[in-house]
Amino acid sequence: MQPLIFDIRRFALDDGPGIRTTVFFKGCPLACLWCHNPEAIRPETDLFFQRDRCVGCGECAKACPDAAICLDGPARVNRQRCTLCGACADACPATALKMVGRYYPPAELVRLLLRDLPFFSVSGGGVTFSGGEPTLHSDYLQEILAALRSHGIHTALQTCGHFDLEPFRSRLLPLLDLIFFDLKLADPGRHRRFTGQDNTRIRDNFRRLAAEAGSRLVPRVPLVPEITATEENLQQIAALLNESGFDSCDLLPYHPGGLSKRQAMGEIPSPLVPDAMIGQGEERQWRHFMQQRLAC
Amino acid sequence: MGNVTLPDIRLSDFTLQTLPRLAALRTRNLQAGAEVCIERARLITRYLRDLADADEPMELRYARAVGYYLANKTPLFPDDNLLAGTTTAKYFGAPVYPELTGLTIWPELDTMSSREKNPQRLSRQDADILNFEVFPYWLDRNILETTRARHGNPACMKLFERIVFFLASKAGTISHTVPCYRLALEQGTEAIIAEARRQEALCATATDEESRQKQTFYQAVQLALAGVNHYAANLSQEATRLANETADPGRRRFFEELAAISAQVPARPARTFREAVNALWLLQVAIHAESINMAISPGRLDQLLYPYYRRDIDRGTLTVEEALDLLGCLWLKLNDNTNLVPETAEELFGGAGTVPAVTLGGIDADGEDAVNDLTYLMLRVTELLKTRDPSLNARYHYDKNSETYRQRVAEVIATTKAVPAFYNDLVAIRTLENQGIATEDARDYAIIGCVELAAAGRSYDASSSIMLNLVSALELALYNGKRPVTGDEQIGPRTGDATAFRSFEEFWHAFTSQLGWLIGQAVELNEMMGKSHQERLPTPLLSALFEGPMEKGRDLIFGGARYNSSGATHIGFADTVDSLNAIEQGVFLDRKCTMAQLMQTLQHDFAGAEALHAYLVNRTPKYGTDAPIARKNARNLTAFLFDTYQAHVNYRGGRYRPAYWTMTNHAGQGRLSGALPNGRKANRVFASGITPVSQAATDLAACLNAVAELDALHLPGGVAFNLKYNAIANAEDLRTFGQAIEAYFRQGGLHIQCNIMSYETLLDAKAHPEKYPDLLVRVSGYSAYFKSLNEAMKEEIITRTAYSLTTGQSEPFPAAAQNMLPFRG
Repeated sequence: MQPLIFDIRRFALDDGPGIRTTVFFKGCPLACLWCHNPEAIRPETDLFFQRDRCVGCGECAKACPDAAICLDGPARVNRQRCTLCGACADACPATALKMVGRYYPPAELVRLLLRDLPFFSVSGGGVTFSGGEPTLHSDYLQEILAALRSHGIHTALQTCGHFDLEPFRSRLLPLLDLIFFDLKLADPGRHRRFTGQDNTRIRDNFRRLAAEAGSRLVPRVPLVPEITATEENLQQIAALLNESGFDSCDLLPYHPGGLSKRQAMGEIPSPLVPDAMIGQGEERQWRHFMQQRLAC
Repeated sequence: MGNVTLPDIRLSDFTLQTLPRLAALRTRNLQAGAEVCIERARLITRYLRDLADADEPMELRYARAVGYYLANKTPLFPDDNLLAGTTTAKYFGAPVYPELTGLTIWPELDTMSSREKNPQRLSRQDADILNFEVFPYWLDRNILETTRARHGNPACMKLFERIVFFLASKAGTISHTVPCYRLALEQGTEAIIAEARRQEALCATATDEESRQKQTFYQAVQLALAGVNHYAANLSQEATRLANETADPGRRRFFEELAAISAQVPARPARTFREAVNALWLLQVAIHAESINMAISPGRLDQLLYPYYRRDIDRGTLTVEEALDLLGCLWLKLNDNTNLVPETAEELFGGAGTVPAVTLGGIDADGEDAVNDLTYLMLRVTELLKTRDPSLNARYHYDKNSETYRQRVAEVIATTKAVPAFYNDLVAIRTLENQGIATEDARDYAIIGCVELAAAGRSYDASSSIMLNLVSALELALYNGKRPVTGDEQIGPRTGDATAFRSFEEFWHAFTSQLGWLIGQAVELNEMMGKSHQERLPTPLLSALFEGPMEKGRDLIFGGARYNSSGATHIGFADTVDSLNAIEQGVFLDRKCTMAQLMQTLQHDFAGAEALHAYLVNRTPKYGTDAPIARKNARNLTAFLFDTYQAHVNYRGGRYRPAYWTMTNHAGQGRLSGALPNGRKANRVFASGITPVSQAATDLAACLNAVAELDALHLPGGVAFNLKYNAIANAEDLRTFGQAIEAYFRQGGLHIQCNIMSYETLLDAKAHPEKYPDLLVRVSGYSAYFKSLNEAMKEEIITRTAYSLTTGQSEPFPAAAQNMLPFRG
């Protein structure tokens, strides 16, 4: 299946050094309950409905061949009937209905990324691949990375760590300047429960890459209150980091941006997931906690 | 390498607390109310009416009148400013130029003192003098009427007087230029008079017409410059009188110094930094005896004044603090006058200063870094004073100037929230070279007024000759030569019933036919008025302070400058491009509606067509994004305008240059235009300058790229690109801010100017003007105090897309203010 991209964010400052463009792939082997980008989980196209953009013209209902539009309900789309054909989004004049996920032929994507080359070069920035899980599309990714490298562009990857190591090492690793590697939950049971996957492979991959990639590998830990941000979990992650020789990691404070996206896709968010940003005090406390355990 | 020796380029030890003179002068300047000053009008009129020899050529009569005014101008020392000379006889004066558009205040003589918006005080006695002595004389002698009479009220003039198609600025100005003060500072005006006398004698023996004309020109130069020296001598005498009158030794020394300085300059060479600054100021005042106070731009002051500064500093006769004090005094002096604005023109030009542009930095004639200590002193003075004028412009050559300089300019923008504007040296120089300017002259470019590029002191550009409304051409194409605002009258050529067009190409053809026709009309009128200027408004004084006229023996308005051009700027660029996009995509590609349906919707201002309106706003390509159709139409429009204007040669032998800056005209003209295909509703503001439509370009990088990729060679008159950031909150933001500008320049961007303020701040400033007495904003080229802008212009600035430097995206526009958006309401 063709890799779909659900967003290309330009002038991104939080995904690596300098001014960057971040490419978000669809499809992820994990399905974290708190996911910031739930539209990235399924590899297929999704239909988004943003109620605040709707002008109530009813063009979507006229366009839908499957009578899946319900103008009265808050959800707008009857997801049981919807075949994701995209006719309603095509007809929507206000972009309230939007198809999420598009295939970019490699040449087109590279051309688009190259448009911001001056931003990269004046700031020491580059391109970051995120998602979703970019390594699911390693042929495609390899082609894009090679093209960017030929223009001297700095490349970075954000990964959940759940991938086949050998092809990654031989094909992608040589083309990457920076790998942001997520360590979410140390306990295998909790990992399965909250992300839908076992974490053995992630931990193995992390240990192996730590030995090989050196400073190109940057561990990241999401701080989700009550889920990942617990003393026990962070203690165990710190231990894993210590044994791999890391004395620091990126901490990603939780924000509830994923909730409204799930609603836009007609999903019901898990009640376990917090609906507010992590408090500044709590964030500070965990930063201190991690610093103390990594600084030894 | 440049000449930077300052230990701290930010000069952070110097503040308004350590410079109390500037603090006091600034407070008074900000509080001063404008007064109409009739002195110039009265004296010039009296001379021409009662004293002039009617048999003399106009060139001499007018030069004598200018000299007469300067010799009799009130020598005034109204405050503690260290510089001698005032533009008018009022503290904050609006001089009257009855030969231009001064007469437009005739119907308002009784009301202009008390009008609500920006009142200009006029005493009963002065109103009577204008009413009975001055204005009647000029009734059929002003430029507009003499042009009308000579050409039998031509069609192009009637079109101009409808206001909604184009403005012909020559009716109102002889201005918009950068003089060359270097020679006058180095040698003194007496030396220039002597040279004119020598040249006159050389011509005296010949009897041919050309020699006779040259002789007249050189005579006129002497007469006008003698007036300048006379004024300086009067100032010196008055200062001596004031010195003798006071018992306070400090005041006495203050006046004695002023007396000594005005006895030396500008007649004789400036020997010190202070004399150089004062000479420059006196020449600037003098030029306004002849040319209206609009955009007479001093140019590259950090280059011009540097030798005097360096010498005094090295000799130990000047400290950095004293230099800052003097520069601050000059900045405040440049704020001592304002334009005479009738209430009817408030809508189009409200809140403007007189826009004397100062240009800093960049490279020198050899192509090397020209940034010096004075560059940083001028940046600091600007940062401390935050006054409307001078309009400050920073040149930046990314291969030659340092990143330190770039970031210091960025920091001043962050502090002042508005100035200076940034220019890309590499591109600006190439653009001027493409206009036939020699490389070393192009490298010495400076900014005129808002954003126009000039080979400083060498190129006479009349850069504000035409202001043309692009939307009017679009509407003429939509309505087969008519416009909603002018009703059923056939204005332009019949380019076909738009409802019958079968392709976008047909519409494009109709649009460019209307536009070409409109340009032809505007150029025709400009040529007529240019000839009127030649007959009635010679400029020997300005010509003496320029490169070319003294060598050629020919006044600037007869083509005496080394280079010549005329500038035509354009209103409604982004709205026009987006409307073209909407027609191409909506009617001919997506077939969302027919041309007939679209036009019907426009005529009803989208009432009952919410879905189509939403489609036009949200789904059609927008200038300022990556959309290929938008990029193509923007490119094609700038190319069409470039080709069309460059084909016209003006009465001075120079070509017309298209530009894209709008002052506040985009607000005023917007209020007179119907609904547009891009979804903008009827009578709402247009986007400013070359800036994308508010809220249409949400992605910062794409927006910068889209503006940068317009071929600067096609924009030789200059552009105003307004970019708003909601905040520069910390050192990281400041670095990103500077990097974004550099990236924009490396993509080919010519100009950028920024407002650093959030929607919330601006909305608060609109609701509570008293809380923001000196909030400075970039309008479209110049700066203005937000409180002095009219309501439409305030809303335009509020609705401009505000980008975040941390996300690179536009900030969400406050829901409560949605009705201000031009496509809502």
